[in-house]
Amino acid sequence: MRKCIKCGKQTQIYLPQHRLALCKEDYKTWFESRTERTIEQFKMFDRTEKILVAVSGGKDSLSLWNVLVKLGYNADGLYINLGIHEYSKISQEKVQKFANSIKKQLHIVEIKSEFGKSIPEIAKDRRKPACSSCGAIKRYYMNLYAHKLGYNVIATGHNLDDEVSVLLLNTLSWNVDYLSRQYPVLPEENGFVRKVKPFCKASEKETAMYAVLSNIDYIEDECPYADGSTTINHKKILAQIEEFSPGTKLRFYLEFLSKMYPLITEKKKNEVVIKSCRLCGEPTQYEICSICRMKA
Amino acid sequence: MQDNKGKIFILYRNKKIVFEEKEIKVKDIIKRLNLSTDYAFAVKNGEILDANEIVKAGDEIKIINAISGGIR
Repeated sequence: MRKCIKCGKQTQIYLPQHRLALCKEDYKTWFESRTERTIEQFKMFDRTEKILVAVSGGKDSLSLWNVLVKLGYNADGLYINLGIHEYSKISQEKVQKFANSIKKQLHIVEIKSEFGKSIPEIAKDRRKPACSSCGAIKRYYMNLYAHKLGYNVIATGHNLDDEVSVLLLNTLSWNVDYLSRQYPVLPEENGFVRKVKPFCKASEKETAMYAVLSNIDYIEDECPYADGSTTINHKKILAQIEEFSPGTKLRFYLEFLSKMYPLITEKKKNEVVIKSCRLCGEPTQYEICSICRMKA
Repeated sequence: MQDNKGKIFILYRNKKIVFEEKEIKVKDIIKRLNLSTDYAFAVKNGEILDANEIVKAGDEIKIINAISGGIR
C-alpha cells in the first residue's frame, strides 16, 4: 500500500495526474490549499469581499461553499429552484440542510415565480433541450440577485472537467466568441457582477472525493435533463485520454489559458458592445436580452 | 435465510447490484459498470479504495460516479 507523502501513514488515495498519495486528512488540507492558491493565482477575490456561491446541491457547489467558509472567506449561498420535480425538491432540501450545518445564509430563488414557468415548462414550450434555456436563466438570475443582495462576486462550482469539455467542444468548432470568454475570472463590468470558478483546476473526481471525505451530503442523482448531454459525452472521451496519459486535461486547460486565451482576447477586444436590455435593464449584447425574449 | 457470504454488494446511484465473484479488483467493478477510474471510485466504510484494491465476497462497497453534465 502507498504512503501519504505528508505524514507517512498508509493510504489508498492516489492522484495519478499529480503523482501524489495522500491520507484522508492530508487530502482535504491539500484540496483546500490548492483552491486557495487558485483563488490567489487568478486574483479572484479576497477576504473583504462578499461572495455569493451558486449552489445546486451537487458535490461541486457544496464542496466549494464548504472550502470557502473553512478558508475564512465571507461566502453565502444562492439556490435557484428550477422546478424540475423531485430532483429540485431533493436538491433544495440538501442545500438547506448544508447551509444550516455551516451556519451561513442561503438565498432561494424560485424560477416558477420569477419567470412564470418552470424549466420543464419552458423546455416544452420552446421545443428545445432544457439545458439551453436553463443555463441562460441561471446566469441571468444569479447576476440579478447578486446585485439586489449586494454581493461583489458570484462563485460557481465549475471544475476542471467542465472547463475542459467545453474547451474541447469550442475548439472543435473554433468558436472564438465562446473561447474568448472561457477564463476562470470574468471581471465586474457593464452591469455584470464578477464571476469566478475556484475549482477550475480540480477534477470532478477530486471534488467528489473531497465531498465524500468531508461527509457532505450532496445529491448524487444527475439532473434528468442532463442524460446523454454533449458535455457528458465529451467528458467520457477525455477520460479515455486521461487514463493512458494522466495530466492531459489539466495541461490542455492551463496551456490554453497561458498561450491561446491572450491571443484570442486581444483579437476580440472592443468587438462586443454591452448595453442594457430595453425591457429589464440587465446587461446584454442585444436590444432585448435572451430572457425577455424567452418570456415573450 | 439468504446466504450473502458468497456475494459482493455494490451500491451505485441508489441501486444495489450483486456480484457473484469471490473477489474482484475495484477497477474491474468500475469497468463492469461501464465507468472509468478517471471519474469513478469506490468507498468502503467511509474510506476511499485504491483502484487495484481487491474486494472480497461479503464486502459492501459504494461506487461514486463523479461525472455530471448539462449546462452548469
